[in-house]
Amino acid sequence: MLFVAPAAGYIGIFHLFPVLYGLYLSLTTYSPLDRGGPELVGFDNYAGLLNDADFHASVRVTVQFVAEVLPFAVAFALGLALLANRSTRGIGLFRAGLFLPRIVPLAAVSLVWLWLYSPDGWFNHVLGQVGLEPRTWLLDEGSALHAVAGMRIWKALGGNMVLFLAGLQAIPRALYEAATMDGANAWQRFRYVTLPGLRPVTTYVVILNIVYLAQSFAEIFILTGGGPLRSTTTTNFLIYEEAFQNNRFGTASAMAFVLFALIFVFSFMVLRRMGRNP
Amino acid sequence: MRTMSCQPWLAALTAASVLVLAGCGTGGGSADTGAGTHDAESNDGGSLTVWFPGNNPDEIELVTDKLVPRFESMHDADVEVTFVPWEDVSTRLNTGFAGGTAPDVFGHGPAAAAGLVEADRLEPLDEFVETMDPADLDDLASFLVGGQVDGTQYMIPLGGEGRLIAYRKDLFAAAGLDPDGPPASWTDAYDAAVQLTDDDTAGLILQTGSIQRVQSFMGLLGSEGGQLLSEDGTEVAWTSDAGVRALEYFVGLHQGDSPVSDLLGADFANQPAAQNPLATGAAAMVMVTSGQAVQIARARPELAEQIALIEPMSGAADAVMFGGPGPGLFMSKDSDNKELAWAFMEFMLSAEVAESYAEVTGQIPVRASAVDGDYVASEPLIASFIEAGSQFVASPNVPAWVEVRNLLDKHLERALHGEVSPRQALDDAAAEAGPLLAGE
Amino acid sequence: MTSASMAGSGRIRLRWATRRRPGTFLVLLIATVLVMMPFLWMLSIAFKPEAEVFTDVPQILPADPTFENFATAWTSGNVGRAMINSTIVAGVAVLVNCTFAVLAGYAFAKLPFRGGTLVFLLMISTAMVPVAVTLIPLFLMTKGFPLVGGNDLLGQGGTGLLDSLGAVVLPHLIAPLNIFLARQYFLGLDDDLGEAARIDGANELTTFWRIYVPLARPLVAVVAIFSFTAVWDDFLWPLVVTSSLEAETVQLALSKFLTGGNVMYGPAMAGAVLVVLPVVAVFIFNQRSFIAGLSEGGVKG
Repeated sequence: MLFVAPAAGYIGIFHLFPVLYGLYLSLTTYSPLDRGGPELVGFDNYAGLLNDADFHASVRVTVQFVAEVLPFAVAFALGLALLANRSTRGIGLFRAGLFLPRIVPLAAVSLVWLWLYSPDGWFNHVLGQVGLEPRTWLLDEGSALHAVAGMRIWKALGGNMVLFLAGLQAIPRALYEAATMDGANAWQRFRYVTLPGLRPVTTYVVILNIVYLAQSFAEIFILTGGGPLRSTTTTNFLIYEEAFQNNRFGTASAMAFVLFALIFVFSFMVLRRMGRNP
Repeated sequence: MRTMSCQPWLAALTAASVLVLAGCGTGGGSADTGAGTHDAESNDGGSLTVWFPGNNPDEIELVTDKLVPRFESMHDADVEVTFVPWEDVSTRLNTGFAGGTAPDVFGHGPAAAAGLVEADRLEPLDEFVETMDPADLDDLASFLVGGQVDGTQYMIPLGGEGRLIAYRKDLFAAAGLDPDGPPASWTDAYDAAVQLTDDDTAGLILQTGSIQRVQSFMGLLGSEGGQLLSEDGTEVAWTSDAGVRALEYFVGLHQGDSPVSDLLGADFANQPAAQNPLATGAAAMVMVTSGQAVQIARARPELAEQIALIEPMSGAADAVMFGGPGPGLFMSKDSDNKELAWAFMEFMLSAEVAESYAEVTGQIPVRASAVDGDYVASEPLIASFIEAGSQFVASPNVPAWVEVRNLLDKHLERALHGEVSPRQALDDAAAEAGPLLAGE
Repeated sequence: MTSASMAGSGRIRLRWATRRRPGTFLVLLIATVLVMMPFLWMLSIAFKPEAEVFTDVPQILPADPTFENFATAWTSGNVGRAMINSTIVAGVAVLVNCTFAVLAGYAFAKLPFRGGTLVFLLMISTAMVPVAVTLIPLFLMTKGFPLVGGNDLLGQGGTGLLDSLGAVVLPHLIAPLNIFLARQYFLGLDDDLGEAARIDGANELTTFWRIYVPLARPLVAVVAIFSFTAVWDDFLWPLVVTSSLEAETVQLALSKFLTGGNVMYGPAMAGAVLVVLPVVAVFIFNQRSFIAGLSEGGVKG
C-alpha cells in the first residue's frame, strides 16, 4: 500500500481530478470564452452524439486507423526485437537506429513525411523507378488514411521494439538452455519459452498502442488536417475541433468520454484475455 | 517495523522531488522577476503583455528586437511579447481566458472578432480611435472598417490580405495566348485554362485547402452577384442561383469533361514558395495571397519577369475577390492598462512601423499612403493587390462565423470531389448552418 | 513446463548468444536502413540550401552542403536555451518516474492489497482520456499551485507555476502507463525470488531493492527513455503554460520553422537533428548500461 501511495496521490490529484472535472463538463454547456461558466444540461450532450453523423464517422475512422496500425506495429516490433536481442556486430547502433523514429519529434517527422508523400517526393520517385504512376498520397481519400497509418507504424516500431527487448531480457536464459537440452528446436523454443515469457510485456504493448493510437491527433493535424473528405478525421481530431475551434467544451468532453469508454473496453478485453498468468 | 524503515526513504525522496519542482518553479519565476526588477526602474509607464499570432522568425526578430524596445523606451513601459503559432491561437486564448491570464493585447484573425465580442472579451476601441489624427484615419480607412463588428471598432489590422490569380506569361505565350492580355472574366479564364492544360501543366488552380475553399468560393460567388449571408447576417444566402453558378464553375475546374485544375485539397501555404505550382510551372494560373506572391518572386528571382497578377475577374456581376484586413490586434476587456495597450496598438499602426511589419510578412500595407513607400516600390506585385483593394470582400462579422465557415467548407469539399451536386452541397450546408446563424 | 523446474535444470552455459550470425546481421542492416530512410532524408535536408530541398529527382547527398540551417536554428530558433530547459524538465521526470512509477508497479504486481485492482484500473484509465478535456482543469491547477509565483497557501493571488519549468513537468512526474509497464514487467519475474528473501527475514523494501531492482534494470531503462521522450516530445502543454523565451522547450523552439504559411524545411530539419542528438545519446548510453548490461548480471536462480 505504502509503495503505491505517492503515485496514487499524485495521479489522483493531477490526472484523475482533471478527468473528473472533464466528466462534469460533459454534462454542461461550457465555452471558456464566455464569462458565465459551465451550465448543467444533464445528458443532452451524450444524447446529441447518438445522431451526430460526423461523430459516428470519426469513430469508424479511428477504429480503422487502430486496426491498420496495431498488428504491424506489434508484429514487426516483435520480429525486430528478436533479431536485435541477438549479439552481432554493431548491435548497439542497430538498436539505436531502429529506435530512432520513436525519439524524433513528431512535428519534424511529419514534415519529412509530408515531403516524402508530396507529388515530387521520394515515394513517387521510387514508384517512377519501378515504372508505376505517381500518386497524390495525402490528397486522395482512398489513400490518405493508409498513408498516415504508414507513418504511424514507422513511428511506433522503435518504442515497441525496446519494450519487447526489455521483456526478452527478463526471460531467464536457463529456460532456453533447458528447452534446448530437452531437444526443442528454434520454433519450439520461441513458441513455448519466448512467447509465454513475453506475455505480460505483449499485453502492455498492445494496450499502450491502443491507448495512443485511438488518441491520434498530431500526425493528422500536420499531414492531412482531417481531410480529404474528412477521411482522416479521427475522434480525437474532432474533439479538438469541437473544443478549440467551436468552443464547445461540453460536447467535446462528451465525445471524449465515449472515446474513453471505447478505449477502456478494448483495453480491458485485452487485459482479460492476455493479462492472466498461464 | 517494515513500514517504519521505508518511510524516511520515501519522505526524503518526496521532499527531494518537491524541492526540485519548487526549484524549477522559482528558477523560472526568478528569471522573470529578474527581468522585472531590471526594468522596474524605468517602467513607470506600466507593463503590458502582448500575444502575436504566428511564428515567422523574421517577424519575431523585427518585433522583439526592434519595435518593442523602441516602444518601451518611448513609453517607459515594460512589454512582454509572446508569439503563438497560428494553429494554437484559439487553444491559448481559451486557457488564458478560462484562467484569467489572457494578455492585454492579442493578435487574431478578423473571422474571430464577432465571436469574441459576443463572449464579452473585447474592449471597444471607438473612443481610442476618435483620438487619432483625422489624416491618419483617412489613410487607414479601407482596412479599419474590416475590424468593426456592428459598426464598432474592435480590431486594429496589422496588414491586409487578398487573393488574386497569378499567371505565367511564358506559359501563356507557349500556348498561343497573349502574355500581356490575361482573361478579364471567369469564363475567359476557363477557356484559356483549357488551352493551357496538358499532361504536365494545369490551366487554373484555385485555393482548395481546408477553409481556403470557402475563400475561393467567396470570390466566385461575389463575381456572380451572390452573397454568403443575408444583410443582417442571420440567414444563409449562398443557396441562391448565383451561389449554384459559382460552385458549378468551381467544381467544373476539377470534374467533368475537361478539368483544368489539379492538386485538389493541396494547401500551398504549407509548402515552400519555390514549390508553388506557379513557380514550378505545374500550373499556368494559380490563386495566390499577397504573401505567397511576394515569396514566390523572392524564391525565384529568375521568374520575376514571367509572373504577373490578373485583376479580379467578373462573372455575371462585377469582379470580386476574397480579401480584407489580415490578422490584427485586439484589446482584452480585462486589461488593467488600457491606455498603454492602446498606445501599443497605435504604435503598430504608425506609418514606419506598419510598413516594416507588412514588409516582413508580405502583407498588404494597412495605410493607403504606403503605395508610395519603399516596400511597394521594391515589390511591384504588392501594388496590384493595393489596386484591387476596393474589390475585396471580407468574411462576414457574425458570431457563429468560424463554425459556419467550417461547415460550408466541409460541404464545398464534397461538391469539389464530385460526391454531391453543387446545389445539394449548398443546401446541405445551409441546413446545418441555418440554426447557428439564427442563434439557436 | 513450469519456470521453476526449467530454471533448476539448466546449468550449462551455452554460447548461443554470442555466436556470429551473418544472416541476423544482414536482416538487421536492411531493416535499420529502411527505418532510418526518413531520418536520412531529414539529415540530408538539414544540410541543403533552400533551393535544393525540392528537385525533380530527389538527391540524398546535398550538392552544395551548408551549415547555415543549423546556425539559423540555433540563433533565431532559441534551440540552445530550449535544450537546457527540456533537459532539466526531462531529468526531473525521469528521476521521479523511475522511482515512484517503478515502486508502484512493483507493489501492484508483487504485493496485492485489497482494492488494488480498482486503484490500478483507475490510475491507468486516466491515460485514456484525450488531452483536450483535461487541459483547462490542469491549467487552472497550475495557476493555483500554492506558495509559488506569488500565490498564498490557498493558491490565490499570483500566477502559480505558470511560465516556469515546474509547470512544464507537472503532468509528467508519474505517468500511469509507466506504472502499468512496471507492473507487467514484475509480473513476468519469478515470485520465488522474493519469497526466498522474505524467508531470510528481509523486509519489503529490502526485497524490492536487493532482489527485484537489479533484475529490473531493463525496465528502469525503458521507463527512463519513455519519461524522457514524453517530456521532450510534448508540445501542447508547454505551449499553454509558458510564454517567455526563458521557459521555452525544444518543441516550442522547433515549431517556429514548421508553422503553416511559413514552412522552412532546412532550419526545421536542422533544428530537429540538434534536438534528437541528445536523446540518441541518452538512448545509446542507456541501452549499453541497462539492456545489454543485464546479460552480465545474469539470473541467479
